[in-house]
Amino acid sequence: MMAIGLDIGSQTIKLVVWKNGAVVLTRKELTSHDPLAVCRELLKNTPGGPLRATGYGRHLVKEYLQCETISEIKAFALGARAVFPSCRTILDIGGQDTKAISLTADGRIDKFHMNDKCAAGTGRFLEIMATALGLSLEDFMTEALAAKTSHPINSMCTVFAESEVISTIARGTARPAIALGIHQAIAARAVSLLERVSITDDILFAGGVALNRCIQKEIENKLGRKVHAPDAPQIIGALGCALLAAKDV
Amino acid sequence: MPFNVPDVKPLIEDEFVGEAAKRALQYIQTKRAAGMPVAGIYCGYAPMEVIRAVGAVPAILCAFANKTIAAAEAVLPANLCPLIKSSYGFIITDTCPFFGISDAVVAETTCDGKKKMFELISEYKPMFVMDLPQLPDEKEALANWAVMITKLQGFLEKTFATSATLEGIEREIKATNIKNRMMNRLFDYAAKKPSLLKWSETYELAFLAQVATTDDLQATFEEAFKTIAAREAKGVHYGTASAPRVLVTGCPMGGDSTKVYKIIEEAGGVVVAMDSCTGMKPFMTEIEENTGDPIAAIAARYLQLPCSCMTPNTRRLDELDKTIARFQPDVVIEVVLHACHSYNIESYKIMNHAKSKHNLPYLKIETDYSDGDVEQIRTRVEALFDSL
Repeated sequence: MMAIGLDIGSQTIKLVVWKNGAVVLTRKELTSHDPLAVCRELLKNTPGGPLRATGYGRHLVKEYLQCETISEIKAFALGARAVFPSCRTILDIGGQDTKAISLTADGRIDKFHMNDKCAAGTGRFLEIMATALGLSLEDFMTEALAAKTSHPINSMCTVFAESEVISTIARGTARPAIALGIHQAIAARAVSLLERVSITDDILFAGGVALNRCIQKEIENKLGRKVHAPDAPQIIGALGCALLAAKDV
Repeated sequence: MPFNVPDVKPLIEDEFVGEAAKRALQYIQTKRAAGMPVAGIYCGYAPMEVIRAVGAVPAILCAFANKTIAAAEAVLPANLCPLIKSSYGFIITDTCPFFGISDAVVAETTCDGKKKMFELISEYKPMFVMDLPQLPDEKEALANWAVMITKLQGFLEKTFATSATLEGIEREIKATNIKNRMMNRLFDYAAKKPSLLKWSETYELAFLAQVATTDDLQATFEEAFKTIAAREAKGVHYGTASAPRVLVTGCPMGGDSTKVYKIIEEAGGVVVAMDSCTGMKPFMTEIEENTGDPIAAIAARYLQLPCSCMTPNTRRLDELDKTIARFQPDVVIEVVLHACHSYNIESYKIMNHAKSKHNLPYLKIETDYSDGDVEQIRTRVEALFDSL
């Protein structure tokens, strides 16, 4: 039995193929200006099977690829429980949005919160801040992790935060301290979103930003509890889709 | 989301289907051409009975279009409510037909943004600012509001060189009550399981009923009720029987912000109740008749309106209980316009009330008149329905 899940995110498109109770293939590409073409490319040479899509581009592919769509909230809820059955709270920080979801004991969606259309504290925000500091994403994280002190960043609007970072550099503040300040600001925002849903039992951290160990560590510090980031945090939504598609078989 | 059968006859069959504001404009223009003065108003607290009793026709000046906001932001701060910016933008670009044909403006102090915007437009037209008491349960509130209504009457009489009698005002009270009963009959069809009406039908009739007199509405109502009876006889209903029923509450919604209604529909929901000043709110209660003091009766009724500008606004929770019992929603969606602090803060109480007292899922959407957040709103609404 084969089923496919697609998550058409703002930054990347993820594909998961699920077969007989296991992930057998994952693919990931930049979304680009033509997400439909990217989806077709990702789907090339995959085994046939029912397909479900989620993410911002889900309605675009719905008619072209003739598939059902589900909201990201549901996709993440399903995917998260598959990789981490005891989780009751999910934090997803993707390219342009942040969501916190709490689940009931049997895995149904209890509450969820999302940021507004503003990209504050998302993957895109991290990229722009890294660029403002003249660092790659990887080095940005490494510098923040190694920082001895932190310089607080107050603005969370991407544009204002960039100006704040630039003026902080101009005042001679050490780069690692600024880098850490930015990571802490994102973590604080994520924690406040998590607190709007109730935090119960284990927390799963998904989405591209979950690859950033500094954000994970800062969230753990603020919450005083462990936050679990899976090995492949970006595929959780696509996995949820594949699981739902598999049920159709 | 369609009706369960094709080619359903719309409730109002004219050239303005889907264009509630244009229909209202044509009505007002006809009245003005017949010699009636036009009184522009800014909210549901404007005492319509007094405006009608002095022989004027009301025009709603609140605007719901994104296109004038950029012009408004040349003067007003960007982080202000879109309703105020849109309304002001129409005025300074001289493109608001409702403001253009208004002979006087009735301005109610419901919020700081409107209050200060009124100052900026006070030069354009004769204006009367009504000081709305915002602690409605204080014993002086009623008397103070009645004084304001009497002063408004004097202003309108002077401006339009007409006069109103107490009998005339009493007649208008009775006419309002008849209208409100008809509107409630309509809402009962929206409340049916499954609903017999599409949200836009209720919205369009409510929009017209705010400005048109009860007499002028009679034919429209008769036709609408005939159409509904035919639907009922044929088993026509809106959406699927299993579609989530949605109660939408919060800020006034119209024009470009009706995107939220459309998204709810596209996600498979049916909007059965519109709890806002451009929806059902103005029609929910009646004015006491034959009290001998019609101004006091009007004052009492308008002060009952549960706008978030009131504190404490316990009436909103009481009304919500009734609305939930009557419309049997599966979810509550609150729509808050950007920078509407009072609705935004009050939403916390509404959320707790919906969840704890009624065990209903609740979603708050903060938005403006632009379409930049349509996909984000869609994700949330779909997720809300997914979680049912």
